[in-house]
Amino acid sequence: MAVNTVNGVIRVCMRFTRPAWPLAGSLRTGSCFPAFVRHWSSQDVKLPSSFVPETSLSRPPWSEVSFPDPVEETQRHQDVVQKVNNLLATGQCGRLFAVVHFASRQWKVTNEDLILIENHIDAECGDRIRLEKVLLVGGEDFTLIGRPLLQRDLVRVEATVIEKTESWPKVHMRFWKRHRYQRKRIVVQPQTVLRINTVEVAPGLS
Amino acid sequence: MTSRGTPSRFLKSVLQNGVGRYVCQLKRLSLVFSKVGQSSLGAREYIEEGVVDFARQNPGIVVYVSPQSHTVPKLVAEYLNGAVKEEQIASKTSQEIAQLITKLTGQSGLEVIRIRKPIHTDSPSIQGQWHPFTNRPPALGVLRPGDRQTQ
Repeated sequence: MAVNTVNGVIRVCMRFTRPAWPLAGSLRTGSCFPAFVRHWSSQDVKLPSSFVPETSLSRPPWSEVSFPDPVEETQRHQDVVQKVNNLLATGQCGRLFAVVHFASRQWKVTNEDLILIENHIDAECGDRIRLEKVLLVGGEDFTLIGRPLLQRDLVRVEATVIEKTESWPKVHMRFWKRHRYQRKRIVVQPQTVLRINTVEVAPGLS
Repeated sequence: MTSRGTPSRFLKSVLQNGVGRYVCQLKRLSLVFSKVGQSSLGAREYIEEGVVDFARQNPGIVVYVSPQSHTVPKLVAEYLNGAVKEEQIASKTSQEIAQLITKLTGQSGLEVIRIRKPIHTDSPSIQGQWHPFTNRPPALGVLRPGDRQTQ
């Protein structure tokens, strides 16, 4: 691959150089530096005609990338999916965690976690809610990543509302020095505490 | 403005509430009011309209209604963890008192102070802590200190 690209570069360079050289030579012979021109021409003869010095731009800066065989790749994918399905079916996946999008931020949760939401949510205390925007689920040995979300029938993350309270009175002070300007605002937000009850994955992975 | 000097705590719950089932943390609510006072008007209205319904809907909460002459009306909420919270309801309407009571019912009795982190977890890492060699394919070989990656 690298050889091919080098050849391509050489070919392009030659195409540019061929018409350019006689023109430059004729100009230089017309000027009053014949010795200089002779020097240059002798240099040109010595080198191979397709010489391009190696620079930092001769090849891409990343190392050479080789793509795996597609057949082999699908086979390996099947094997991995089979293995993860077996783990899920036999329940050997250990403790599961999930990344859930809720209240416009992403939470990494496992069973028996507490999360605090700085807002009121439309559920009473003791209600069990299901968090449906699951971005990622992981066990001890595997991780399932959604693109961007995982299907709703694959993952189930449930939580209980255990507290609906208010934040401590936050002081919002605006002060402009030397201008006799100050405003004080005391903000109290509603807060909700959720307890994560279940993070489950159905074994129907495909 | 920073708030570093204020008292703070971490996010927690009382006795793992909600792991098995949810238990309402408010155990006792007493409504102290005056039978004649002007500022207890809303409290008297709430007692006529809403107290019985509230007590029926929440069988786990004991509700006391205690008339005391010439007192400022107040709500005293006692929680399962022993916290006692008093709220003044002088010259509040019955709707405001109902809202206040629902707020007290939803709270857990923990202090209302700054909470340092919005999450609490007992198992912080499931797959192990990340380090620069996690998920490094073994085909790349072993890296030793002092080695330089060749192109």
